[in-house]
Amino acid sequence: MDYTNQIREIASKLFAEGKIDVFVGYRMTGFDENQVPALIRDPNEVSKLVFTDKSVFNLTNYLKQDHTRNKRIGMVVKGCDSRALNLLLTESQVKRENLHIVGIPCKGVVDENGNKMQNCIECIFPNPVVFDEMVDGTPTGSEAPPYQVNTDIQNIAAMDLVERRAYFEEVFESCIRCNACRHSCPMCYCAKCCIDQETSTLYHGANTTSSAFHALMTWSLHLAGRCVDCRNCEKACPSHLPLHLLHKWNEQVIYENFQEHLAGVHEGDRGAFYKYSMKDPDDFIM
Amino acid sequence: MARVGVFVCFCGANIADFVDVPAVVEEAKRIREVKFAIDYKYMCSDPGQQQIRDAIVQHRLTSIVVAACSPRMHEKTFRKALSDAGMNPYLLEVANIREHSSWVHQKDKKAATAKAADLVRMAVAKSIANEQLHEISVPVTKRALVIGGGIAGIQAALDIADARIPVVLVEKSPSIGGKMAQLDETFPTLDCSQCILTPKMVDVASHPYIELIPYAEVLELDGFVGNYKAKIKKKASYVNFKTCTGCGACWQKCPVKVPNEYNMGIDKRKAIYTPFPQAVPNKPVIDARYCTMLTKGKCGICSKVCEKGSIDYKMQDEIIEREIGAVVVATGYDLWDPKPYEEYGVGRFKDIITSLEFERMVSANGPTNGVPVRPSDGKVPKNVVFIKCIGSRDEAKGIEYCSKICCMYTTKHTILLHHKVHGSHSYVFYMDIRAAGKGYEEFVKKAQVDTGATYLRGRVSKIYKKGDKLMVRGEDAQIGQVVEVEADLVVLATAVVPNKDNPDLARLLGVSYDKYGYMSEAHPKLRPVETAKAGIFLAGCTQAPKDIPDTVAQASACAAKVCGIFAGDTMKKDPMISTVNKEFCSGCQNCVTVCPYGAIVTEEVPMGHGSKEMRTVAKINEGVCQGCGSCVAVCRSMAISLAGFTDPQIINEIVSI
Ligand SMILES: Cc1cc2nc3c(=O)[nH]c(=O)nc-3n(C[C@H](O)[C@H](O)[C@H](O)COP(=O)(O)OP(=O)(O)OC[C@H]3O[C@@H](n4cnc5c(N)ncnc54)[C@H](O)[C@@H]3O)c2cc1C
Ligand code: SF4
Ligand code: SF4
Ligand code: SF4
Ligand code: SF4
Ligand code: SF4
Repeated sequence: MDYTNQIREIASKLFAEGKIDVFVGYRMTGFDENQVPALIRDPNEVSKLVFTDKSVFNLTNYLKQDHTRNKRIGMVVKGCDSRALNLLLTESQVKRENLHIVGIPCKGVVDENGNKMQNCIECIFPNPVVFDEMVDGTPTGSEAPPYQVNTDIQNIAAMDLVERRAYFEEVFESCIRCNACRHSCPMCYCAKCCIDQETSTLYHGANTTSSAFHALMTWSLHLAGRCVDCRNCEKACPSHLPLHLLHKWNEQVIYENFQEHLAGVHEGDRGAFYKYSMKDPDDFIM
Repeated sequence: MARVGVFVCFCGANIADFVDVPAVVEEAKRIREVKFAIDYKYMCSDPGQQQIRDAIVQHRLTSIVVAACSPRMHEKTFRKALSDAGMNPYLLEVANIREHSSWVHQKDKKAATAKAADLVRMAVAKSIANEQLHEISVPVTKRALVIGGGIAGIQAALDIADARIPVVLVEKSPSIGGKMAQLDETFPTLDCSQCILTPKMVDVASHPYIELIPYAEVLELDGFVGNYKAKIKKKASYVNFKTCTGCGACWQKCPVKVPNEYNMGIDKRKAIYTPFPQAVPNKPVIDARYCTMLTKGKCGICSKVCEKGSIDYKMQDEIIEREIGAVVVATGYDLWDPKPYEEYGVGRFKDIITSLEFERMVSANGPTNGVPVRPSDGKVPKNVVFIKCIGSRDEAKGIEYCSKICCMYTTKHTILLHHKVHGSHSYVFYMDIRAAGKGYEEFVKKAQVDTGATYLRGRVSKIYKKGDKLMVRGEDAQIGQVVEVEADLVVLATAVVPNKDNPDLARLLGVSYDKYGYMSEAHPKLRPVETAKAGIFLAGCTQAPKDIPDTVAQASACAAKVCGIFAGDTMKKDPMISTVNKEFCSGCQNCVTVCPYGAIVTEEVPMGHGSKEMRTVAKINEGVCQGCGSCVAVCRSMAISLAGFTDPQIINEIVSI
C-alpha cells in the first residue's frame, strides 16, 4: 500500500485550486522508518507527504485543535479514521464545508515490528464511510468481513463481575494517569475532562491503582459507542497498556444490546447512549 | 462551618414500628456538622414544624434534614417551615426513611435502622453543599389553545372563555361538534344529542373570548408554559367565510357527489359542503380532492351561483401564529376497523354494520330519516343482532382494553330499535355488561325489561348467509350451548381507538402517548388531566375512551387548570433546573437531542476572550427546563449543572457512606 504520489498530487491540486489552507497527512520522522502527522501549509512542501502501511495515526485528532478549527482542511482518512470523522461531524465539532477528505481504501497498517495491526486484521470498515475523493479514484474496495468478537473479549465476557474487575485492575495497574490516551483520541475534545486530576470533581486526588482504573473505566464509558478502534490511544500510551480491551469490551456489549450499533458508521447517529429507541433493552432496570 | 439540624419522624407507627427512631437520632448526633437532632411523633404536624422553626433560630442552623416520608408528600410543607423561620427553603433535604426503609424492610428492624441512619448521613452531607435557590418567575401570555372541537374541546373552550380568558379553538374538520354531533339520543337519559350540543356550538361561535379556527391544524408549538407560540395551518376552504352567508345555493347546484362522512358513507354529499345542517360555522368548504374545478379546471358552477362572489378557487393554505399560555388537547377518538373479523363476513355481507352506522340511521337527521334499513335491500330489519366487544378486550385481533362506552350505547340501541321499528327484536351477544356510572345499571335493567331484548352471554364464532338472512352462530355460556340466531341486520360495537393523529401531534407538542396511541396523563390518579409537560392538558377521548359525562367533566377540569396558570401575571417556577457552563460546553449537542422537553437550544459565543471567531454552545431555556437531569447525564464535558443536584452535592452523598 503506497499512495504517496497520489496524495502529493491531490494536495498540490487542492492548494492550486485555492480550496484549502492546510493539508493534514503523514511525513517521515526524519530519523527512522516511521511516520508522524504532517500539517502542510506551504504548497511547496507537499513533497514531504507520504502514505504507506506505516501511516498509522488517526489524523482526525487534528480537527479538534483550535489552530485547525474554522480552517479549510484537506485530510487523509482511512476507514477507521472516517468513522471518527463521521462522529465529529455528528457532534458538531467540525464543519463539513471546511473539509476536503481524501479517502484511502485501506489494506491495513503495521506496528513497529512490521506486523499488521490486530484492529486492521479485524477491521470491517477498511473503506472510508465519508470522503470527497478516493485516492485511487475508486470508491469501492474489498468486501469487509462480518463483525466478530475476538478471543480476548470472549475471555472477558466469560468472567463474572468480580473476576472481571480484578482482571482489569491488574491489567491497568501500571497506568501513570498521564492522559496521553485521552489527548490522542479524536473523540475526546472536552474543555474540562472528567478524568483530569486537577479539575475533575470525580477523580481528583491520589494516583492509586483503584483511581487509575476508575479513571480509565470512566474514560472508556465516554467512548462507549463512540470508539472507532483506531488505537491512537494505545500508540500514545507510554506504559503500552492494552486500552483496546476496555473499548472493545464496551463495543461488543453495545453491539449486542443496542441494535448492532457500531460507532460512526452513519452520519447523524450519536450512538447508543445519546439516543432513545423503543428497542433499547431495559431488562437491567429493576 | 455548617450547622445542620436533623429532625427524625416516627410517622406514628409507620416508621417507628420498623426503625429505631431514637437510635437514628443518636447516630445523627455523631456527625460533626450536626448541631441539633431530635425525634417527634408527627414532624409534619404544626407542633412538629414549630420545632424546626424554633431550632433554626435557637441553634443558628445553616441547613435542615427531615427524615420522614417521601419528599413527594411533605417536601413543600417543610420548605415552607424553613422560609417561615427566615431560612432559604432549598436548604432543606428530606431523607425518605419511610418508603425507602421502614415500609420495605419490615422484617429486619436492625437493618432498617442502619439504612435509615445511612440515609440521614447522606442527606446531611448533601445539605452541606446545598445552595440558596430562588423561585423563578416567568411572564404569562393569557391565551389558551384548544385543539379539537368535539364536546371536550367545546366545553373546555367555553369554560375558559367564561373566565374572560381568550381561547383559540382549532378544529380539523369544517365544523365543530365531533362525534357527539353524529349521535341520536344519548344514554343514560335519552336526551337528544343535537339538542344539547348545538346550543353549545352556537355559544362557541358567538363568544367574544373565543376565536374559532375551523378546517385547520396545529403545525408547531414552541416555547414553554405561559409562553408558547403556535403555528396553525388554515387549510384552503376556497370559500370566503367573511362574505359567505351559508345560503346553500352552491352545494345544491354542485354536480359532484361523494360519500358523506357525517353519515358514515351511507348517503352522498357534494364536493362543496357543510358536514351537517347545524354545522358551526355554517359555511361550506370545497373538498379539493373531488371538486372538478380544482382537479381538472372544469365546472365552476358554485362560483356562478354564489350571489356574494364568495368562491375563490385560487385560495391557498394560510399559516398563522398565535401566542399561547396553555394548551388543551381534545382530539377525540376513532373507531376500530372490524376487517380482521373475517369469520363474521365483515366486508362480504352488506347487512353487517357498525354501531355508529346504526346510530346515524336511527337519527332523525340521518340518511334514512330515522329508520334503520338493511343496506342490501333497503328493507326495515325486524331481528337485529348486536355484538359487543368487537376489537375490544381482544388481544388476538384488536386491543386489550375495554372501550367503556359500548355496553351502554348498545343498550341504548336496543331501546332505539324498539322505539323505531314496531315488532322488532334485539339479540345482544356480550361478554359482560359493564354499567358502572350514575344511573347506568338502572338504565340497562329498565331497557332489558322494556325492550324484551334477548341477552346471550358469549362470543359469536361465525356468521353465514341463509337466503337473505344472516345466521349468527355463537355460544350461550349460560346454558352452555351453541345457539344460532336468524338476523336481518348485525350491528358490531367496534372498539374505541385513539385518534391516528395522536402520535404525530404528541411529538409536535412534546408530550407522551401510551402504547396504544392515547395521550398520556402525568399521573393516572392524582394528575389525570395534566400531561407531563407543564401547561398542556388533556380532555375527552384523546386520553382514553370515555362517555360524554366523563368527557365534559374532564374538559371543565382542564379549564380550571388553565385558569390556575393564568391567575397571576407571572408564573412561579421551581428553581431546580439545569444551566450550561459555556466555557466547558464543547457544543456536541447531545443534550439538545436528549432533552425530553425541547428546553435546549444553541447559541454562538466568541471562541476566546475578545475573539472574532465563534463557536456553538448549548443554552437552556429556564422556563422550559423541568429539571429532569437527562442532559446532565449525557454531558461528557460536565458543562451542565442541575441546581439542587450539583456534583458537589451528589459526591458529598456518595462519600458520606
Ligand atoms: C356509536 C356511539 C354511540 C355513542 N353514544 C353515546 C351516548 O349515548 N352517550 C354518551 O355519553 N356517549 C356516547 N358515545 C361516546 C361519545 O361519542 C364520546 O364520549 C364523545 O364524543 C367524546 O368527545 P371528544 O370531544 O373527546 O371526541 P370527538 O367527539 O371525537 O371530537 C374530537 C374532535 O377533534 C377534532 N380533531 C381530531 N384531530 C384533530 C387535530 N389533529 N386537530 C384539530 N382537531 C382535531 C375532530 O375533528 C373532532 O371534532 C357514543 C359513541 C359511539 C361510537
Ligand atoms: S474522557 Fe470524557 S470528559 Fe474527558 S475528554 Fe474524553 S469525552 Fe471528554
Ligand atoms: S479510544 Fe482509542 S481506539 Fe478508540 S477512538 Fe479513541 S483513540 Fe481510537
Ligand atoms: S496513556 Fe496510558 S498511562 Fe497515560 S493515562 Fe492513558 S492508559 Fe494511563
Ligand atoms: S452535552 Fe454538554 S458539551 Fe455537549 S452541547 Fe450539551 S452542554 Fe455542551
Ligand atoms: S434538566 Fe431535563 S428538562 Fe432541563 S434541560 Fe436538561 S434534559 Fe432538558
